[in-house]
Amino acid sequence: MRTKRLLLTMFVSLLLFPSLLFSAGTKEPTHITTGDEIIELSVYHFLDQTDKTTAPNFAFLVEEFEKKNPNIKLKFEYGYGESFHDKLQTLAVSGQLPDIVLLYPGKRTSQVTDAGLVQDLRPWIKGHEKEFADMAMQGQGENGEIWELPEDISITAIMYTNNRLLKELGLTLPKTLDELLAQGPVIRENGLIPISMANKDAWPMQSCLAGVLVERTGGMEWFDKAIAGNGAGFDDPEFVAAMEIIKQLSDKHMFSPGTNQLAYGQGLDDFVNERAVYLIDGGWTVNNMIGELTDEQKTYMSLESFPDVPNQKGKSLSTSATAGQGFGMNAKLNKAQSEAAWKWIWFYSGPEGSAIRQKFGRLPAYNLAEPADADPMIKKLIAYAAKVPMGYVLDSVLGAEPIGAFNINLQRLMFGTMTPKQVAEDLEMMVDKIDRGNR
Amino acid sequence: MTFKQQKMASYWLLIAPGLILFAAVIVFPVFYSFSLSFTKWSGYGKSLFVGLENYRNIFSDPVFLHGLRNNMLIVAISVFGQIPLGFLLAYMLHRKMVRGGEFYQTMIFLPITISPVVVALLWNQIFSSSGIVTALIRNFSGNSQYVMKIFEDKSQAIIPILFVLLWMHTGTYMIIYLANLQKINPSVLEAAQIDGATEGQMFFRIILPSMVGTITTTAIFAIAGSLKAFDLIYAMTGGGPAHFTEVIAIYMYTNTFKYYKYGFGSAVSIIIVLLSVGLILILQSASKKIEKKYE
Amino acid sequence: MNKTKIKWNVIAYFVMITFTLLTIAPIVWMILNSFKPHSDIVRNPLSPPTSLYLQNFVRSWVQGHLGVYFYNSIFYSMISTVLTVIIAMGSGYALSKFRYNFSKIIYMFYTLGLLITVHSVIVPLFIMETKLGIANTRLGVIIPYIAFGLPFQVFLATTYVKGIPDAMQESAIIDGANYLQVFFTIILPIATPIISTMFIYTFLGNWNEFILVQTLTSEIAIRSLPVGINSFAGGMSRDYGLQFSALVIGTVPMIIFYLIFRDKIAQGFAAGATKE
Repeated sequence: MRTKRLLLTMFVSLLLFPSLLFSAGTKEPTHITTGDEIIELSVYHFLDQTDKTTAPNFAFLVEEFEKKNPNIKLKFEYGYGESFHDKLQTLAVSGQLPDIVLLYPGKRTSQVTDAGLVQDLRPWIKGHEKEFADMAMQGQGENGEIWELPEDISITAIMYTNNRLLKELGLTLPKTLDELLAQGPVIRENGLIPISMANKDAWPMQSCLAGVLVERTGGMEWFDKAIAGNGAGFDDPEFVAAMEIIKQLSDKHMFSPGTNQLAYGQGLDDFVNERAVYLIDGGWTVNNMIGELTDEQKTYMSLESFPDVPNQKGKSLSTSATAGQGFGMNAKLNKAQSEAAWKWIWFYSGPEGSAIRQKFGRLPAYNLAEPADADPMIKKLIAYAAKVPMGYVLDSVLGAEPIGAFNINLQRLMFGTMTPKQVAEDLEMMVDKIDRGNR
Repeated sequence: MTFKQQKMASYWLLIAPGLILFAAVIVFPVFYSFSLSFTKWSGYGKSLFVGLENYRNIFSDPVFLHGLRNNMLIVAISVFGQIPLGFLLAYMLHRKMVRGGEFYQTMIFLPITISPVVVALLWNQIFSSSGIVTALIRNFSGNSQYVMKIFEDKSQAIIPILFVLLWMHTGTYMIIYLANLQKINPSVLEAAQIDGATEGQMFFRIILPSMVGTITTTAIFAIAGSLKAFDLIYAMTGGGPAHFTEVIAIYMYTNTFKYYKYGFGSAVSIIIVLLSVGLILILQSASKKIEKKYE
Repeated sequence: MNKTKIKWNVIAYFVMITFTLLTIAPIVWMILNSFKPHSDIVRNPLSPPTSLYLQNFVRSWVQGHLGVYFYNSIFYSMISTVLTVIIAMGSGYALSKFRYNFSKIIYMFYTLGLLITVHSVIVPLFIMETKLGIANTRLGVIIPYIAFGLPFQVFLATTYVKGIPDAMQESAIIDGANYLQVFFTIILPIATPIISTMFIYTFLGNWNEFILVQTLTSEIAIRSLPVGINSFAGGMSRDYGLQFSALVIGTVPMIIFYLIFRDKIAQGFAAGATKE
C-alpha cells in the first residue's frame, strides 16, 4: 500500500517537474526577423583556439564579413576534437541543428546529411561550378547533392622529406619501396627515425598512408568497383597487397618506435626537431610548419609522394585527397534566412574567404592564383597539389563503423595479431554488411 | 493538521526537491535507455524492436569481453589496491610513524583535486614511448634505441592506467580511514597494551574489526566507480591501441557517439548497472559474514 | 621489537615520499612548462624555463575567453554546490530520522544513481532540456549538476545524521517544535563537519565537470573552464605553451582551494561512511 502511494507520488512529481521548469526557464524566444531588419543566425564551427594561424585568421574572416553585412548577425559556437562531433550528433538527434553548420564531405557527418536535415546547395552554387576544383564539386549525397561548400582540398598523404639529413646520410630520395626499405638500417644506425608517424589515435595510418597504398596496388578503376561492391571487394589481392606493405614497413622498423603509442602531435615534433628523415602526414600540417620550422629549415624540407610499389597498378607519385569540410545550412531556414546563410557560406568558401585562408597555409577548393607573398611551405604545397594525381581517402568513402574497426585492425596488423588477409576480409565484411547494405 | 500529517508533510517537503531532480535527470533517462536497449535505432526515424539481440551481440564481441576483463582489473586494483594501501597509509599516519604527517596527508590527497583530463595529459608524458620513463631508461642503460612498449602488449597495456588510478584515488580512502581510525577510543588500545597485546594483535583484534563497516562501504563506492571508469582512460589512451585498454564505458561511448548505435549503446549501459549491482550484492553478503564472525 | 619498528618507519617514509614525489613532479613540470614558449617545449620538454614567458597566459586568457569561463566555473560550482548540499542534507535527515518504510526504497534508488554514467543519460537529457526550453541556459547546467551530485551526498548526509542521537530531536518535538524547525535549528548546526566535507567534494566535482556543460550549452557566455581547457588540448594543430597555461589556470585555483580547506575534508568522514 505504502509502496503504491510512493510510486504514485513519484509519478505525479515527474509530471509536475516540466511545468516547474517551464516557469523557471530563462531562455528568451528568438525573434525571427526578415526584410531589412537584422537576421540572426547560429553557426556551429570546428575551431582549435590554440591554432596560431587558423584562430586569428577565422576571427579576421568573421570581422570582414560583419563589416560587409551589417544586417546579418552570426552567433558562433565552437567545438573541437571528438566533442565537436558528439555535440553535433546530439544537436541533430534532438532536432536542434544550428542554422549554419560545418560538415564533412565523406561519411564523418553523414548522419546529419543523410537524415535530410540540411539543404542541397546546388541551386545556390549554380553558375560557379567551374570556379572550384573538380573534386570539390563532386556529389556528396546519394543523388549528387552538395551538402556543404568545401573550403579546402585536403591532401592526406604527403611524404615530407628532410633533404639535409638525406644528403648527410649519403642517401637520395627513394624511387621504389625497396629503395626506401633499404634506407631504413642506414637511418636507424645514425640514431634517427626513418618515417615519423604517430598512430596512437589510429586514424593517421589509415588516412595518411593506407588510402594511397590502395590506389597504388589497385588503381582507381578497381578502387571504384570495390567501394560499390561491383565486381571487386576489399578482400581482393589488390587490397591485401597494400596491407602487406604496411606490415612490411612496420616489421622493418621504418615507423617511429612505438608509433601506436605516440599522440598525433609527436610525429611533427620529431620531424621539426630533425630526429626523423621523413614524415608522412596530411597537407594540413603545413599550417603548423609555417610557424614551427625555421627559415633555414624551410629551404631543405620538401613535399614528396610515397615511392612506387611492386606490381603497381595505380599512378606514380599519387596521393590521396578529399574535398575538405565546409559550411552547410539547415533545411528549416526560410527564404530570407537562407539567403543570409548563403552569403556567409559563399563569403567563406568563395573568392574572398579563400584568399584570406590561402595566406595562412590552406589549399582552398576555390581556384585562385598563387599569392606572391606566401610562405615558402605554402608555395611548396600548392606546387605539390598541382603536379600529383589524387586517389581516395578511405575514411571519406567508407562508413564510420567499418573505418573505426579498420583503423584498429591496422594497429593489430602492426602488432602481428592480424594478418594482411584477415584485415582485408574483415573490412570487406563490414563494408558489405553496413555500408552497402544501407544503400 | 494532525501531528502525523504534519510529519508526513515535512518529510515530503524535505525529500521532494532532491527526488524530483534525481528522477528527472537520472531515473527517467535510464528507463528510457532500458527500453531503447531492445531496439535498433540510429537516432533518426523509427526504432526497430530486436529483443535481446543487442545483448547477445555484446557478449559475443571480443572487444567487449576484453573491456570487461580490464574493468574487472580496475575493480581489483580499487578493492585490493587502493583500499589496503589507503588503509596502510592512514594507519601509518595515525600511529605517527612519520614526522610531518600533515604534509604527506595533504600531498597524497592532492591528486583528487585535479581534473582527470589534466592527470591524463601529465601521465602520458611519463609513459609514452617518447616520454620520461623511456628517456630515463635510455640514459641509465645506455641503449639509445630503447622504447617503452608496455602499451603494445594486449595483456599489460592496462597496467599504467591501473597505476595512475591507484595514485589518484588512494588519497580518498586514506582520508576516510584516517578519520575513522581517530574515532577508536584510545583507552581501549591502552588497556590492551597493558594486558600485553602486541602491535599485530591490537591491529587484528581491535582496529580491523571496528573498521569492517567503513571498509565495506568504501568498497561499494570503489566498485561503482570502477565499472563506470571513463574520463581518465579516455583521455589517456582512448581505449587503444587496438582496444588493449578498452573499458565498458568507452565501448558504450564509441558505439553510441561514433557509430550511432543508440540501442546497442543503451544495452551496454544497462549491463554496466547490472554488473555493478551484482558485484555489490556479492560484496555485501561477504561483509555480513565477516561482521558475524567478529560479533 | 625496536628493529621491526625502525623497519616500519623506513617503509612508511618510503611510501609517503614516493607518493609525494609522484604528486609534486607532474604539477611542477606543468607549471614550469606554462612559462615556456611553444617552440621551447617542443625542443626541450623537460628543461626548466630560461626566462619567464608570460605571453602564454595572456594569450590563452584572451584568445580562449578564459575570463568568462572562469567566472562561470565559479558561478556553477558555487550555486549547484550550495543547492546540492542543502537538498542532500534535507533528504538525509528525512531518510534517516522519520522511520518510514519507503525511505529504504528511496535510499536504494539513490544508491543505484551512483552506477549511472553521464554518457548513458546525456542524449535523453538534452532532448528533455530542449523541449523544456532550458538547454543552453545556466539553469540547464545547474539542474543536472545537482542531480548527479545527489547520490553520493545523500549517502554522506544520511549516514552522518543517523549517528546523531534521537534524544535531541525527540526532546525538541516534545517541546512543540515541528520537524522543519528541528532540521534547521538542531540537525544543520550539528552537521557542520559533514557539510564542509560535502561542500568541498561537490565543489571539486563540479569544477572539473566537462561533458554536461559541453553538451548542454552552446554560448561562450555561459560555458565553464573545462570547455575552455579542452579547446586547447592538442589535436591537429597545437601550441603546447597555451595548453599548459590553460591547464595551470584550471588546476591551480582548485589546489589553492584544497590547501585552504583541507583540514575540513577529513572531519565529515569521521562520523559518516560508517555503520552505526
